[in-house]
Amino acid sequence: QTLHDLLKKAPLAYAAEIKELNQQHESLFSKWMLQLHLGFNIVLYGLGSKRDLLEKFRTSVLQDSVHLVVNGYFPSITVRSVLNSITEEVLDHIGTFRSPLDQLEFIIKRFKEDSSLELYILIHNLDSQMLRGERSQQILAQLCSLPSIYLIASIDHINAPLMWDQAKLSLYNWLWYETTTFSPYVEETSYENSLLVQQSGSLALSSITHVLRSLTLNARGIFRLLAQYQLENKDNPSYPGLSFQDFYQQCREAFLVNSDLTLRAQLTEFRDHKLIRTKRGADGVEYLLIPVDDSTLTDFLEKEDEDV
Amino acid sequence: GCFVFKPSPKKRRVSQKTANPFGEGDSEDSELRFLTCQSLWNEIKLATEQVQEDLNKQLFDSLVSFLRRSHSEFQEKTTEWTRRMKSREIPTAALVLGVNVTDHDLTFRNLSEILQNNITPYIAFLEAKDCPGIKNLMQKLMGQLMNCSVDVDSQEDEDYVQVSQSRIRCSMTSLVNWYESVTKKTDSETPRKKRTSSSRHWQSPPVVVVFKDMESFTTKVLQDFIVISSQHLHELPLVLIFGIATSPMIIHSLLPHSVSSLLCIELFQSLSSKEHLSTVIDKLLLTDQFPFKLGEKVLQVLINIFLYHDFSVQNFIKGFQLCIVEHFYSQPLSILCCQLVDAKKRVNSLSHNQCENIRRLPSFRRYVENQESEKQVALLTTDSYLKETTQKLLEDLRVYHENYVSVLRCLHVFTSSLPKYPLGKQIRELHCACLEHQVWETDEYESSLQLARMLNKSDLVTMLQQCVEIFVSSSRKEFDKTVEKLKEFLTQFQKLEGEAFQEQDVSVSSQKELQKKTDLYHLQKTLLELKESRRSKKLTKFEMLRFEVVGYIDSLVRNYLVPADHKTLHEIMYFNTASVLREHLNAAPRIALHTALNNPYWYLKVRTKRVGGGA
Repeated sequence: QTLHDLLKKAPLAYAAEIKELNQQHESLFSKWMLQLHLGFNIVLYGLGSKRDLLEKFRTSVLQDSVHLVVNGYFPSITVRSVLNSITEEVLDHIGTFRSPLDQLEFIIKRFKEDSSLELYILIHNLDSQMLRGERSQQILAQLCSLPSIYLIASIDHINAPLMWDQAKLSLYNWLWYETTTFSPYVEETSYENSLLVQQSGSLALSSITHVLRSLTLNARGIFRLLAQYQLENKDNPSYPGLSFQDFYQQCREAFLVNSDLTLRAQLTEFRDHKLIRTKRGADGVEYLLIPVDDSTLTDFLEKEDEDV
Repeated sequence: GCFVFKPSPKKRRVSQKTANPFGEGDSEDSELRFLTCQSLWNEIKLATEQVQEDLNKQLFDSLVSFLRRSHSEFQEKTTEWTRRMKSREIPTAALVLGVNVTDHDLTFRNLSEILQNNITPYIAFLEAKDCPGIKNLMQKLMGQLMNCSVDVDSQEDEDYVQVSQSRIRCSMTSLVNWYESVTKKTDSETPRKKRTSSSRHWQSPPVVVVFKDMESFTTKVLQDFIVISSQHLHELPLVLIFGIATSPMIIHSLLPHSVSSLLCIELFQSLSSKEHLSTVIDKLLLTDQFPFKLGEKVLQVLINIFLYHDFSVQNFIKGFQLCIVEHFYSQPLSILCCQLVDAKKRVNSLSHNQCENIRRLPSFRRYVENQESEKQVALLTTDSYLKETTQKLLEDLRVYHENYVSVLRCLHVFTSSLPKYPLGKQIRELHCACLEHQVWETDEYESSLQLARMLNKSDLVTMLQQCVEIFVSSSRKEFDKTVEKLKEFLTQFQKLEGEAFQEQDVSVSSQKELQKKTDLYHLQKTLLELKESRRSKKLTKFEMLRFEVVGYIDSLVRNYLVPADHKTLHEIMYFNTASVLREHLNAAPRIALHTALNNPYWYLKVRTKRVGGGA
């Protein structure tokens, strides 16, 4: 939260230039309308969020016509919900369909019968997780090939064009527009789980050292042994962890513990601090793992070496 | 995540319709421009569709005859034995359509029309995306067939209810029942219906099932369907048509032997998309019917996209459409891009701003600079004089086009027969070369002329005849002279023939002499003499003439094939911003991201340069 506040205060670099760039894009609005009416669909690509641009397009040009906004970055969106909102709210049809294909057929029929129906669809992030599937793209493509449905979509994924084959491309009838805005992906990323956030939930380097400082020398040695062993095997993807017996043997050899019981007690303490995890292998043996990524572990070992 | 926004009903329509489609600008007559653009596009669209229909005609004719034949065979099999033997073979037409999936839709649409009119009212088109399982396939098939018959026979509501009922339980038996009932109905009911369905079709019309995209069907579905339908073939005359994008081998790799032996396959080849494109270019670009032309770079981009990416004529036409829209949108003088009569009228009613626009054209500036000083002043200041000259220039441009096309075809006749095709095999390559720069300055042109000087007579004569035909068909009075000249050449050639005989006689007699003398010394001597004479031999009349003809053609080329850029006011007719086209049709999002992340200043360059300089 504090981070957010700080970021908000930080001035955006080159704000003036970016604004100018956006104005350039906005001057294309009338052209887009023309091309949409001529049967093309428009796709926007480029760096930066295109959301504000599309919003602006919506408020300035589409104010007085029926339009549908689809937030593709929304994690629970499906084609079905798109189709549902068309049938229920645009066409005022109540009733369910057995499959999306049936629903699509119904929509196509309605739009063909009634030429006065027009619908603008704006899709933010056409290439998002939920919409990028083969079937959903097929359905959307067929929907957008109707002459009275106009589509403006934005894509962000670098491999987004890979999801369309020739048949779909011809259905979509794209016109590409490069709209590099450099504006931050605020809405789009709010649903993304990033590694940064995840790590604060799990262990960070500072917390490990903090816990270990409060332990005895032997306990630190035990942890160190386990960490070293794990790092040696980090390139082996099938490495299950160190089995308890082996670990006991090694600890005995290093004169860290003198009995099975002390080691177990020590490990329980580690487990309470979530420093290690135990996993039962296929053969019923307990394997010990440190649930921290390797770079953090190496950092930790280096720091320990310095201390000693 | 979906939000529907509906406008308040009172505001609707009012501002929508009055808003100008081209948006801005009163001076640029956007209304008129939009209308011109629309009408032009509609014309072109009609023309292309016509072209495509004509091209497919041959294919469809053979297909129709195949269907007739296979079906009548089916009916002829009256004897019990042959029926039992052959009744499990389904006649199948495999249509090899080429990889341009985008064009297939149009082909199938034409096909359905033709089949409807000629063969049978019962056609079903199946697409792979609708039929993931055999159940869906049957459902789809039944629905389509029944709707088909309802459409064609124009039956009443009660039938429609029946249809929707039977849609729930779709099996082959119900299909067969339906078919029997339909045929019976048409056989035994009112005479009107009988007439419609049995005069146009036969007693029991075949049921045609078209698989649009054979490749994307799952094998299991296809196999099941074929096996099932072959069981019922004696009750339900079924004909399958496969649309194949790759090669007929796919049938054998998709279907195991046991299934493919149930089919009686005949192969049909559709026109290759390259030929298709060349006819489209021929009809679209190399005529004077449409005032709108493509510049060299744009044409190059379109052809490149075609040849290197998709082979799809549909996309080519789409690109062409984009060119038209872009041209009329961006170029304020494009209102003059119409037929000459209209253009003259429009020139007269140009506003002052538009006149300024004309003056600003680079090609017009060049023109002005070559004029005398009084004229320059008049052109630059008085609008009325400017309008007069503009009209004249437009007329010139028009004449240039007509001449250009026929001379281009003529040159193509020459170059396309040369070995190794130095100027390209297709007329589009020649067209590009001519548009790009002055064609007679290129090395390719030089080499092709040299090759042409070595042509033998019969080729030359046929070529000249072809040229004469071209010029006659172009029917401009300017070419009367050229036609006469060419005809003169032809008659001269005919005269030459007599002389050639004499010459041959001479050579034959000399050879006879040669054979007589067996003495080694004499032989050597005569041989030497012969060689000498050959070397020093003056050019025969034929060769002289040949040089003359080639020279004449050369002069024609120099006169008429000046690239369009050198013409005044070419901006009105020619669209030449290839970059627009490339970035809208063939975009590269990866590169955009790459530049934006690596070098953001490229996008922000406008002011950062100044800032960077200061800091």
